[in-house]
Amino acid sequence: MPLFLEVLSALAMTVLAALTLLDRHMVRACAWFVFFALSVALTWWLSGFIWLALLELLLGAALTSLFLFHSLGMRRGEITPRGRLTRWRDPVPLTWRRGLLRLMPALLVMAMLGMALAAHPNESGTEPLRLGGLGLVGLGLWAFALHRHLLRRLLAFNVIGTGIFLMLMSLVRDTTPAAGHGLVITGLVIALLGTALGSLLIRRINGLEAFSAAAFHPPGRGAE
Amino acid sequence: MSQAWLPLATLATSLLMVPLIFALPERAWRLRTVLNLTAALLKLGLVALMVLGGYQGAEYRFSFTVVQGVTFLFQVDALGLMFAGLSSLLWLATTIYAIGYLEDSPNRKRFFGFFSLCVASTIGIALAGNLFTFLLFYELLTLSTYPLVVHRGHPKALAAGTVYLRYTLTGGLLLLLGVVALHALVGDVAFGERERLAELGPDAHLMLTVLFLILLLGLGVKAALVPLHGWLPRAMVAPAPVSALLHAVAVVKAGAFGIVRLVYDVYGIGLTYQLGLLTLLAVIATVTILYGSMRALAQQELKPRLAFSTVSQVSYIVLGISLFGPFGTIAGLVHLMHQGLMKVTLFYCAGNYAEELGIHRIDQLNGAGRRMPLTSIAFTVGALGMIGLPPVAGFISKWYLGMGAVQANMPWVIIVLVASSLLNAAYFLPILYRLWFRPGPAHGVGEWPEERHLGRFETSGWLLWPAVATALFSIMAGLFAGLPFSPLDLATFVTAEEYTP
Amino acid sequence: MIERLGLHVLPHATSTELHWVLLVLGLPLLMGVLGALTRPVRSWPVILVCLLPLVALALLSRQVLDEGAQAWLIALGPLELHWRANALTLLLLLLTQLLTLTSAAYAPAYLSVEIGARVGQAWLWPLQGALASSLSLIWLAGDLLTLYIGLELMGLAAVGLMLLPGRVEALAAGMRYLLLALVGSLAFLLGVALLLGAWQRLDLAGLALAAEPGPLLWVAVALLSAGLLLKAAIFPLHAWLAPVHGAAWTPVSALHAALVVKGSFFIALQLILVLVPGASVAGWLLGAMGSAAVVWGGLLAWRAAKLKDVVAWSTVSQLGYLMLGLALMVGTSPSVSAAAWEGTWLQLAAHSLAKAGMFFATGNLVFSTRQSSVRGLAGVSRGMPLSLLSFGIASISLIGLPPSGGFTAKWLLLQAALEGGYWLWLTALAMGTLLGAAYVFRILRYSFVEGGELGEFRRVPWSMEILALMLALASLLLGLVAEWPLSLLRVAGGAP
Repeated sequence: MPLFLEVLSALAMTVLAALTLLDRHMVRACAWFVFFALSVALTWWLSGFIWLALLELLLGAALTSLFLFHSLGMRRGEITPRGRLTRWRDPVPLTWRRGLLRLMPALLVMAMLGMALAAHPNESGTEPLRLGGLGLVGLGLWAFALHRHLLRRLLAFNVIGTGIFLMLMSLVRDTTPAAGHGLVITGLVIALLGTALGSLLIRRINGLEAFSAAAFHPPGRGAE
Repeated sequence: MSQAWLPLATLATSLLMVPLIFALPERAWRLRTVLNLTAALLKLGLVALMVLGGYQGAEYRFSFTVVQGVTFLFQVDALGLMFAGLSSLLWLATTIYAIGYLEDSPNRKRFFGFFSLCVASTIGIALAGNLFTFLLFYELLTLSTYPLVVHRGHPKALAAGTVYLRYTLTGGLLLLLGVVALHALVGDVAFGERERLAELGPDAHLMLTVLFLILLLGLGVKAALVPLHGWLPRAMVAPAPVSALLHAVAVVKAGAFGIVRLVYDVYGIGLTYQLGLLTLLAVIATVTILYGSMRALAQQELKPRLAFSTVSQVSYIVLGISLFGPFGTIAGLVHLMHQGLMKVTLFYCAGNYAEELGIHRIDQLNGAGRRMPLTSIAFTVGALGMIGLPPVAGFISKWYLGMGAVQANMPWVIIVLVASSLLNAAYFLPILYRLWFRPGPAHGVGEWPEERHLGRFETSGWLLWPAVATALFSIMAGLFAGLPFSPLDLATFVTAEEYTP
Repeated sequence: MIERLGLHVLPHATSTELHWVLLVLGLPLLMGVLGALTRPVRSWPVILVCLLPLVALALLSRQVLDEGAQAWLIALGPLELHWRANALTLLLLLLTQLLTLTSAAYAPAYLSVEIGARVGQAWLWPLQGALASSLSLIWLAGDLLTLYIGLELMGLAAVGLMLLPGRVEALAAGMRYLLLALVGSLAFLLGVALLLGAWQRLDLAGLALAAEPGPLLWVAVALLSAGLLLKAAIFPLHAWLAPVHGAAWTPVSALHAALVVKGSFFIALQLILVLVPGASVAGWLLGAMGSAAVVWGGLLAWRAAKLKDVVAWSTVSQLGYLMLGLALMVGTSPSVSAAAWEGTWLQLAAHSLAKAGMFFATGNLVFSTRQSSVRGLAGVSRGMPLSLLSFGIASISLIGLPPSGGFTAKWLLLQAALEGGYWLWLTALAMGTLLGAAYVFRILRYSFVEGGELGEFRRVPWSMEILALMLALASLLLGLVAEWPLSLLRVAGGAP
């Protein structure tokens, strides 16, 4: 794959991931996620990992998105979803100090990762894919640390996972692709299962009448 | 490995009673009584068998490996037999007493279950052949006595239980650390392998001294050495048979017995002397003896006075050990037995007064000798023994202590002995005076706090006869000290083993 | 360490002897499906059926004990999976199957008495089966891919089990647990990616030889450990544990505390011993975490108001002992690490048995008294003596008093700490004992309270009481017969 294409796809993925994680409207965010997954599948295809591309298409773009929308209470053929969750514009009820405190582990992980990659023995220039993966991991960690909304955390989890897959494949592309494939496929399946479980849970919790905001958020925070 | 079954069977007689008793329903008290008494008699028989065998030179050993380098070892020697004999004898008496004492009270099943476990651990302590096994049963003793201490379940009992645990578990932990450290230093030391530590040479002396102090701290909690005695007076809230057991054989004695083992069978008296630790022991014992007596003098209630008297009396054992020479050793060991007999008598009597007449305070005892003559005679015997008057057993202890002091060239100990005897007299004689010479409710002056008529005699037979029996034993131990199988004879036998290389 | 973990064995060219392993792995899952289909209402058929995997394990054990540690190479196309079995694996498998068996035997009575006919019921069986299978996979795995698969399966099965009660608290706790498990697995995957990228291999034995110290290795190990220790509820990543247990079903709680956290811990231990065996800095770090866990977990348990919370927080404290054991194996002298090695496994087994028994007993007590608080236990020694006794016996092992397995384990750990001169760890072990006694006797104390109103006690099926007692007794007796499993560890392919 030519370099500029690589750069382009890495950029596209990062931008789409940022849109997914930043959009305050949940349905739109989930829609962005579909595009993000498509771009990831395209990147796999371009890099020559056909199987991964197909799997990403099936597991990531199709099934995961299905579950995400399901958790929002959307039904087939309806554009406007039901349920309170969708109208949560997910305020960030954080003070700066608490936010920084939450970000510390994320920053730590990023610093460690940078250090590790810098020390990598078969470092051959800066690969756009690897950097893109790193970017995704960073974005996802940031979102995971700051957002309280469960669905957003699931999205962030998926983005981080994708970032790790990208880094992994870019590291082992030339040496042991089989092991890499094994790990990524397992990871994809796990991510799907985790997201599915999480989505069903969110839906169920939302559906339970007895559910009060207090179960998740201390008073004063949470839903608008 | 000859006749390994004998020590195991001795342990099993009371250990197997535990599930049996717990399995029986609460109301099956007849069957429970029969079981308890059978087991107690059986155990006494087995111990007697071992004593006989021991005199004839038979060896009882049982061991298996727990983890690499650590063995569970039962090894019967004269010292252990002495303790086992004392505990099985007093167990029989206390079982009988407890059956009478707890009549119609709730939770008897639980009481007797843990009571059996407690005795099983005491026997385990007696037969243990190395520090690891000793520690095992030492901690088991803590666990099994806690339910007995809090048996009544009222806030005061629960508070006392908590204090008891705080002291004993911390002590147990220290002991554990010490034992592990000793293991790391020299490996598994069976009791009696004194040369193992002595061979380490002068380089290890500092380490050995530190370890000795740690082990002493751990054991001293149960032996109620000042300032580690705080739990003992508080544990008085327990039912009378428990107090009797705690003071006479089980807990306090386990600590004292542990110190005996530590000095004679682990370090060896020679090494302990060399390290200068005997003087330390003597000082601690002296302080404890005098302090305990002073505090006893200040108590206005009967049981606390007896409790502080225990603090003081148990340290005679430690004092005896700390006198380098055969007489000191004999004094310490023989007092281990004598104090048990006498103190158990005193506690039975205190329990009898409380049960029959509702008496808890000393000033309520006026004239009780007329109302309960046998109990009061037993009490008098115990008290006179504690003071050290012949022919009661206590006299023998003090006599040998004095000779030991001369032999060890520590004449100041005799002054301590005299002072302590005077203090003993000062807190026991007023009680005796009240019992016999002050007119009380029995003479028509005033009223008993809460009089009940528990039996045909002055009180229930279950309560009376154990007290009379142990009082008799205390006199016999003094009178027939020269005969074979008397405590003195046993102690001399043990001492002969210790001092012949 | 490689030898102790059984990783040094070369795989046989033929994989014909693989069938016992596959049976051991597959049978629990199969039984789980069977359970879901038949929904047993009695304990004895469950026990009978659960004996099958034990038979398979016995056959596998014969293979290992006769021929020494075994290794298998499973080729899936270009992908190679490494499995191995030595005495340690066998003991862990045995522990897993025994605990799964008891938990499964406890379940029918529990479900019928306490839960009633509920939709989620049927899911208990396959999820338990999946849990046992994935744990077995973890014990057997010799490469990072298998470990990853096992870890994830275990995590998802555990989350599923936690969700079964279906109440809001359970769902909320389950959601938190799910997110946490996912984060943990991401960290794990990231670490694996770095290792694979740097040294092009996933098998632990190969990595042990290839890996060179450097920032890359340290970061990878840090990420791997962080992910695993989060899942294992090691201090300071422990806060999720008690809420999760508070809402879960009793057999699930028992299984989780006894095995699931141990699975993650085992992987962490293995990776640290394989990748950074001599890093004393790592040892100090682990020891500090372990000490903090012992003390802080003990304090939390001491202060907890609910019975189940006490038991849950005590897990944090007990896992601290395991961490101390691990710390004593990293960068220490051979004799120290040998004692710590045995102490760690003994502690793991003793804690698993004791904690499962304790959860059963606690479940019985809570069910019988209808009160979840510690204070509700007043007078329980009369109403529920057997369960209280089980609780007491199990707690002896947790405190580490003789003659329990916990005591013997602590003895070994103390010995290791003393020999190596690690006074800090020694202090932590001592503190843990006292705190353990404090939180356990705080509960037992209430049970002795007399007077006041005694509530009605609901009857608990005897099978539930007996199982609790049996587990507690097993943890107690393990202390005396410890030499049997430990000698197995030393002889049969354990030590070099």
